[in-house]
Amino acid sequence: MDKVTLRIPAEPAYVQVIRLIAAGLASRLKLTLEDIDDLRIAVDELATYLVGRHGREGTLEVHFMLHDDRIEIQGRGHFPAGAKIRTDLTELSRVILDTVADSASLLAIDGLPGFALTKKRPSDTPSEVGLP
Amino acid sequence: MTSRVILGKEEVREVFLAYGQAADEKERSQLRERLVEQYMGLVEFLARRFRNRGEPLEDLVQVGTIGLLKAIDRFDLDREVEFSTYATPTIVGELKRHFRDKGWAVRVPRRLQELHLELTEVVGSLGQELGRSPTVAEIAEAAGTDEESVLEGLEVAQAYNSTSLDAPVDTEDGGSSSFADLLGVQDEQLVNLEYRASLAPELAKLPERERTILYLRFYRGLTQSEIADRLGISQMHVSRLLNRTLMRLREAFEEE
Repeated sequence: MDKVTLRIPAEPAYVQVIRLIAAGLASRLKLTLEDIDDLRIAVDELATYLVGRHGREGTLEVHFMLHDDRIEIQGRGHFPAGAKIRTDLTELSRVILDTVADSASLLAIDGLPGFALTKKRPSDTPSEVGLP
Repeated sequence: MTSRVILGKEEVREVFLAYGQAADEKERSQLRERLVEQYMGLVEFLARRFRNRGEPLEDLVQVGTIGLLKAIDRFDLDREVEFSTYATPTIVGELKRHFRDKGWAVRVPRRLQELHLELTEVVGSLGQELGRSPTVAEIAEAAGTDEESVLEGLEVAQAYNSTSLDAPVDTEDGGSSSFADLLGVQDEQLVNLEYRASLAPELAKLPERERTILYLRFYRGLTQSEIADRLGISQMHVSRLLNRTLMRLREAFEEE
């Protein structure tokens, strides 16, 4: 398993960086274009809960774990005490995430507000893994 | 579609003559309208050649019509050329310019615009060939570029066309299929969606096409390519609309 770690300011503009890295790593796994798009949607959906639409003080730490057959992404927020973070998904978010990810949830990681996301490579896509 | 009275060659000539000599603006604009009507078929034909590039056909027809109007104004009867021959490069030029400049809501470097247009084509044809969505490596190979450029080109897609969500895209008159037509039947889940819509007013406020895409993708589980086929647009256009719709919903949600 390879691991990539990223720490960004908790600003919406930086969520795009998470998307880009997620897409880049997913393409190493030989995910199809549509699966990569799903992954980007899932990243947006979950990261928005932590970062908020207008951003907030603090940083977001993101870990990408690249396995042979799947990518796992975990985010955790380092925010000032008292930051108001929603911890339950809306019904619409649930429906979206069920479609685009193999698993996705908001959860506390090491006592910090966070999210976890997994996207598998479907078995009918090219099998060879394009790791460097 | 409104029925069009198609004029014969001689009649067209007469209208052009009268247009050139029209006494006032009112007469001029009436004659211009007749000429536009006469050549609308040409505009539609040419616009259709660009429709796989991720823009709604009706928008392209509008752009092409601008080209047609320019050609009508510049046409000289003494040239002894058919008007359609004369107008074609002007209309095509207008459409190309649209893709180069106006279609990009956020200013994107020309290199990336061209890359993106090319990728849209490659993704479409590869998808047909493979019977599934292509991988980034496959796209890169087919487009003769590297994976990084492909990823860059795809991200650019999200900067593109950001105004299309804000403007109502569906025309009430003719041409485009209605929501119910696209779905075939009004099934139980659709009713369910309407129910959900009452929970999330933002969903109800979405333009019909965006709502349809959202419904087909998340409530019916269709893939982007399947939705693209159904709506007659490219998969990359579906991707773009989907991403924008979700962004818009997230914004609305936060403002609650």
